[in-house]
Amino acid sequence: MEYKAPAEAYTGVVREITIGKGKKSLKIGGENILPFHFFDQGSNPNSAKFALEVLDMEPQDWPEHLTQPFKDVIADPVKWAKRCEELGADAVFLRLVSTDPAVNDSSADEAAALAKKVAEAISIPLIIYGSGDDKKDADVLPKVAEACDGMNLLIGPVQKENYEIVGKALLDHGHNASALSPLDINLLKELNVKLCKFFPAEKIVIDPESAALGYGMEYSFSLMERVKQIGVITKDNMTMMPIIADLGGECWKTKQAKESKEQGLLWEGMTALSLLLAGANILILRHPDTVNLVKETTEVE
Amino acid sequence: MVIIGENLHVIAKAVSTAIKERDAKVIQDLAKAQTEAGAGYIDLNVGPMKKDPEENMQWLVNIVQEVTDSPLSIDTMNPVAMEAGLKACQKRPLLNSASGKADSKEQMLPLAQKYNCDVVISVITDKGMPPDVDSKIESIMDTVTYANELGIPNEDIWVDPIILPVSTAGEGQGFAVACLEFIKILEDVLPEIKSTVGLSNISNGVPNELRPLLNRTFLVMLGRNGLYSAIADPLDKEFMNLIEGKMPEIVELIYKTMDGEDIDLSSLSTKEVEYVKTAKVLTGENLYSDAWLES
Repeated sequence: MEYKAPAEAYTGVVREITIGKGKKSLKIGGENILPFHFFDQGSNPNSAKFALEVLDMEPQDWPEHLTQPFKDVIADPVKWAKRCEELGADAVFLRLVSTDPAVNDSSADEAAALAKKVAEAISIPLIIYGSGDDKKDADVLPKVAEACDGMNLLIGPVQKENYEIVGKALLDHGHNASALSPLDINLLKELNVKLCKFFPAEKIVIDPESAALGYGMEYSFSLMERVKQIGVITKDNMTMMPIIADLGGECWKTKQAKESKEQGLLWEGMTALSLLLAGANILILRHPDTVNLVKETTEVE
Repeated sequence: MVIIGENLHVIAKAVSTAIKERDAKVIQDLAKAQTEAGAGYIDLNVGPMKKDPEENMQWLVNIVQEVTDSPLSIDTMNPVAMEAGLKACQKRPLLNSASGKADSKEQMLPLAQKYNCDVVISVITDKGMPPDVDSKIESIMDTVTYANELGIPNEDIWVDPIILPVSTAGEGQGFAVACLEFIKILEDVLPEIKSTVGLSNISNGVPNELRPLLNRTFLVMLGRNGLYSAIADPLDKEFMNLIEGKMPEIVELIYKTMDGEDIDLSSLSTKEVEYVKTAKVLTGENLYSDAWLES
């Protein structure tokens, strides 16, 4: 008798999202199988993507082995972003950390002007995050969205406290939204339900919050796994969105990553690999060597 | 379904003040209202009652008995207050509650035997809250066996599986499903045994205006699986209508949802849709969020 391998078929399909426009674009999501379940029925049309992180100001607490690849350009976010492109990133992730009231409290107008400059200088897609301060982001992100009108960027974090004002601006100026909730699947769904009342589900990416290896990564892992399962297996309309894992910053904050380059790369690399297995579709990393390390490890021949 | 009226609860400011100030009327009004609304028992939840437990409890039991014929459920962790309460009851009371914890076995269960009353026994043991159906059953069988040996028969025991909030991140829906399953198989493993739940805990942490809907729906579901009684709010009129068989269409819809039938929501009224959506959250079919009615 011929052996037939048992293969599962699922009913849910993760929405496919395009970030950027024309040649300057990439796609994430679109899968109807669980992560790396290539043996099941279905496919993942878009392999995981890797974005390198750029800050809008010179980083204060990055170890030298992390700044080294950007040493000569790190004071200039536009040049830094171009370097990321040269180093093989799929996208640039610009974090407007200087706008944080607890950092420099720099203005929304400055941030918007810089965002536009970076977007125009690179030929790969751009993802932009505010500082995460929900009140300040409600001021900064709409201006950023307007300055980059029509570029179809991925902008966030859209949070429970500011989704109405930020979501509206992203919609008006034709961008995707990255919806962030604090490590809780019920809150994550609630935010998506509320956002979807006026914002298309086809333009939402889920940011479930990513913790680093040894610092709570298992929470992020279980959550992403669950989001993906509930989307793909039980077809929950409000979790069938691609997932962004914003993990580089969390990893390079750790004592271990700061101690040595080798340790740092492995810390970031292991966290990235784990969250890929859990179902992340796009990963935010800081060191270009990690991108290569993870790509090599996961490449399917 | 026997409803144990939950409204005399020290967490309610009015009730705790009334006890402190010996204001009988506030308490008697609440007791009367619950009996009139159809409560089978009146729960007297006095918490740990650290101050003057005997005197306070006697006073409370006596003034409530003056205005209602409903038997009482004496609800305290303090064994001294418990004994004073049971002693003062004219009708056969309910001891609420004992558990499989060592101190409860030593101090509470013997009181149930001594005063020949019904007793709520929860699945909790010294190891804590058993996480799944199998371990809940295992724990309760141990404690029930212990109670039987003390001379308390199964028909006097009301088992409580302990309901936890459905909104608990990631886990709450699993808890709800486990409770439903537990109630379903209880009768087979412990014949003649009764059951009860602290119903409103299912909706703890949920926006206030949405809580009654979860409580009502979950009770209908538990009732279908054989639940004998619940500690709940008899003053919720729709809740009482549901369990008294005055809303058969809604009950039918909840049952269909439990059976996984395809229900065409477009043919239903807003209220019916809400019950179906709520039941789908409680069966675990749809992922919970505070916005479960909106998606």
